[in-house]
Amino acid sequence: MKMTKIYEGSHQWIMLGRDEGKPGNIIDTNQYVVRTPNRCLLLDPGGAELFAPMMAAVLHHAPVDQITDLFASHQDPDVISSLGLWDQALTNAKLHAPAIWEGFLRHYSCESIEYEPIPDNGGTIKLEAVELQIIPAHYLHSPGNFHVYDPQAKILMTGDVGAAFEAPDAPVFVDNFAAHVEKMRHWHQRMMPSNQAKRVWIERVRNMDIDILAPQHGRMFKGDDVKRFLDWFDALQVGIAV
Amino acid sequence: MTNQTKSQFIAVASITSELSAVMVVAKEISLAAANAKAIAFRAGDKAKGFQPITDFINELAKETIELVTNINIYALVLYRLTVDEFQKTAAFNKFELAAKMAEDAVYAKSMEGPVDHARLSMQDCQRQFKRDVSQLLGQLEAVMHHARAARVIAANSRIEASQAGEYLQSLQAVAESVDKAAHTIHDNVQRCRIALSIYRNS
Repeated sequence: MKMTKIYEGSHQWIMLGRDEGKPGNIIDTNQYVVRTPNRCLLLDPGGAELFAPMMAAVLHHAPVDQITDLFASHQDPDVISSLGLWDQALTNAKLHAPAIWEGFLRHYSCESIEYEPIPDNGGTIKLEAVELQIIPAHYLHSPGNFHVYDPQAKILMTGDVGAAFEAPDAPVFVDNFAAHVEKMRHWHQRMMPSNQAKRVWIERVRNMDIDILAPQHGRMFKGDDVKRFLDWFDALQVGIAV
Repeated sequence: MTNQTKSQFIAVASITSELSAVMVVAKEISLAAANAKAIAFRAGDKAKGFQPITDFINELAKETIELVTNINIYALVLYRLTVDEFQKTAAFNKFELAAKMAEDAVYAKSMEGPVDHARLSMQDCQRQFKRDVSQLLGQLEAVMHHARAARVIAANSRIEASQAGEYLQSLQAVAESVDKAAHTIHDNVQRCRIALSIYRNS
């Protein structure tokens, strides 16, 4: 699995993805690790098929007993179907996930991990001195959905917003926005159901100071490409299946 | 899923389907016993020897139904245990794979704990499964014992029926149906025992 450090300060952000051993018929995903001196948070830790390479990659950055937090942006299997495995591996961990999905996510098995339900208006995750904001992003695409913002690293992890599907050897950052647009268009038009929800989210995010916009699929956006993405998404008509 | 786990699922699931057939047949024996009792009552002295047999058959049918009900409940527990074992085995395999993939990682050693814990959980499940299989085999043996007893009673019934004059045919039909039912029960349960017995010592 490819590991790319995308922020280094008093804490780190690492993007994990582009797993070479991934079965061809499952969707590629990006997982994110936030590492503080004694704790480790996995953002959208991934599907069951990805558990072994994901755990192996995390062990380059933290021991198992310091993996103290998981975050699931929403309920999809590519986000969190590995939960039952993390549940057996971690002795002292919490799952921060939408309150609305608790009864559903427990189907993946969640007996030793403590479920921290996130209310609809969001919250925070405190990892030692780092405070991450949980930003509501409902209906983009899931009805219960959150993104994570790190004001210090200026990274916004956006789940399925900003997603695109790439070849396994694609770079991790967008380097030509115009060319990248066509890889995102159908996904966003088809999967995002609500133009209203999209507008509300964009209004909220435009007020945030973001250096990197980090989706769960495809390349990340940095610098001016963040604004380009927001402008593009703002102009896009979504919810095309009805 | 390994072949072993798959065949365990199938073995345990097949018990439920075999036993539902046994339940139907046991209820038929009960009905046959009730019929026989009515006929024996009408036959009066001619079928005097038949009357206590009908009570015995009825009792046997009730006990068989109770045994099978308990076995069904136990089979469900066993099925859940099989699912649990499958999940624990899957976890152990994935943890081992992660540990292998992380051989050169800084914190590779920290995976030893989860791997060991997963191995122990998996082995615990396997041991529990074998214990439960043994118990279930014992319960199935009890049903077979009842079925054998029913066949003996059916044989005695034929003898008594031969003394019942014009009621001979009716009572022999009852004896025949009890024998056939008991034979079916015996065979169904025997199949369950054969399917399960390979897991007792595997």
